[in-house]
Amino acid sequence: MNLKEKMKRRLKLNRPSLRARARPPKQRTALGQQFTAANLPVSLSMQVCTACEHHQYPPAELCGHCLGDTLRYQEVDTAGQLLSRSELHHSLWEFFKRRIRTKPWPIGSVKLRNGPVVIGHLGEDTLQTGDDVAVFSHSDASQASVLIIVSAGTPIATPEQREHIVAALNLKQPAEKQGGI
Amino acid sequence: MKDYQGVVMTTPVSLGYQRQSPHGASWFIGMVLRELILRSGVSKTDVEGLAVSSFSLGVDSVVSLTQQFGLSPRWIEQADMGGVSGIVALRRAARAVQAGEAEMIACIGGDGAAHRSFEHTAANFSSWSIDAAFPYGAGGPNAVFSLITARYMEEFGATREDFARICLDQRYNANHYAQALLGHKTLSLDDYLNARPIAGPVHLFDCVMPCAGGEGFLLMTEDRARHLGLPYVQILATDELHNSFSEDPVQQRAGWACYRDALYQRAGLGPEDIDMLQTYDDYPVISMMQIEDLGFCDKGDGARFVQETDMRFDGSGKPANKLPHNTCGGQLSCGQAGSAAGYLGLTEALRQLTHSAQSNQIATARTCLVSGYGMVNYDRGLCSAAAILQEADS
Repeated sequence: MNLKEKMKRRLKLNRPSLRARARPPKQRTALGQQFTAANLPVSLSMQVCTACEHHQYPPAELCGHCLGDTLRYQEVDTAGQLLSRSELHHSLWEFFKRRIRTKPWPIGSVKLRNGPVVIGHLGEDTLQTGDDVAVFSHSDASQASVLIIVSAGTPIATPEQREHIVAALNLKQPAEKQGGI
Repeated sequence: MKDYQGVVMTTPVSLGYQRQSPHGASWFIGMVLRELILRSGVSKTDVEGLAVSSFSLGVDSVVSLTQQFGLSPRWIEQADMGGVSGIVALRRAARAVQAGEAEMIACIGGDGAAHRSFEHTAANFSSWSIDAAFPYGAGGPNAVFSLITARYMEEFGATREDFARICLDQRYNANHYAQALLGHKTLSLDDYLNARPIAGPVHLFDCVMPCAGGEGFLLMTEDRARHLGLPYVQILATDELHNSFSEDPVQQRAGWACYRDALYQRAGLGPEDIDMLQTYDDYPVISMMQIEDLGFCDKGDGARFVQETDMRFDGSGKPANKLPHNTCGGQLSCGQAGSAAGYLGLTEALRQLTHSAQSNQIATARTCLVSGYGMVNYDRGLCSAAAILQEADS
């Protein structure tokens, strides 16, 4: 096998679809990584401006309201209202492609009571537009924080309760390749 | 705002549409430039300005292109703004010509489509998208627009049959436009409704097909165009607005709703005087929003409007009200060639208004409204732009 053929073969075997274990997107910006770190110990932490109390999401360098360099992470209220929901039947990422083979992947967007609009994984299939919901964060199988949307009143106060919901979503386990390479 | 007296648009070029291509963005941009020079009969040194839009130039920019193409322009601009890039380039270039900064400017959008390049663009679109949108199912634009479409349908009662009106009429138009990548296939209502689901209410034929291609045109003084004997069109009015209505929790309108009255006023026309409409159709719901916000009907009335309006280029559809819309098939049938898609409406309008379209030529059209939309930074498209063009007085 010459070098060209070898490289071609390596490229072919490097396809995401051939990986034994696929994980959710790990890539985050430096600010996104800070979001993950800030969210490890609590149910939901966000940047809040110490000058104007603006809640900033997605994470940013400066306050989107007063442009101050005054954003600090703090634990925030999880309550919000579901704006829209959808099921993905198609994904660009191998982890979700494998999950979608069994069931479409539900996502939604939420207007949090304290301001920001967030996109998240739907923790319950039955949620409808306009429902009162709670949003919490949890690490996925790539060790990055993602947001999970559940109906208001769902117990999410302890790490064990949140872990249970995320495990049921199959977010903590990599998606295994069936049938070998 | 000052008018565009003395500046005209000429020489529409669309080329290189392919589902996948081994060529990079500079190939498509350079080929469009070559074609612009050949068709207009000018020399390369006559092109004093270059405006370029692309998603896939990578480490290169319009500056790199000047050296690659052997150009020495006095004026350059890079408008990488997706669906508004064409209109934004037009606005910048028209003012530069008017101010005498350059006598002739080439505006070009072009993108390649390498294997798996769309995946890369979607995964790395913006920092907010990387941190807060892509990790949720990695659906790319389909995911965000499924949330916008679902909410729009719930709030205004629009149905998939309504969106089908836009897609079906556009496919009919594409069947008469040689470069449309899907133009060889017909699309029936059953095909549309039975298509495989992609994301929520968004099904296969609501999505554009990413592809490679290039689009471009020339801007120059009216005297120059006359001297060269080039057919041209006049720019009556343009406008743009970004991150408008940022307080709306889900996007249902964009900048057009803010500036449309002033836009029509500057053009001396109303929506009823527009003979032909070219909207940015990345998803049919976005075209419907443009129809509403540009004053063709009230907010929320878009579904009724498209049911009662024939949007075919030749007026052969059943509805009595006629408004040719996306007369080359739009991106939904031509394919979405990255940033070139933001030029598609303009080049098509230019062809129609200079009577140089081929088998999809409209019999009589004097005015055209072209609108652009784009750049989903996080949960919505931030940019909006519009231009009203008119056939030159003979």
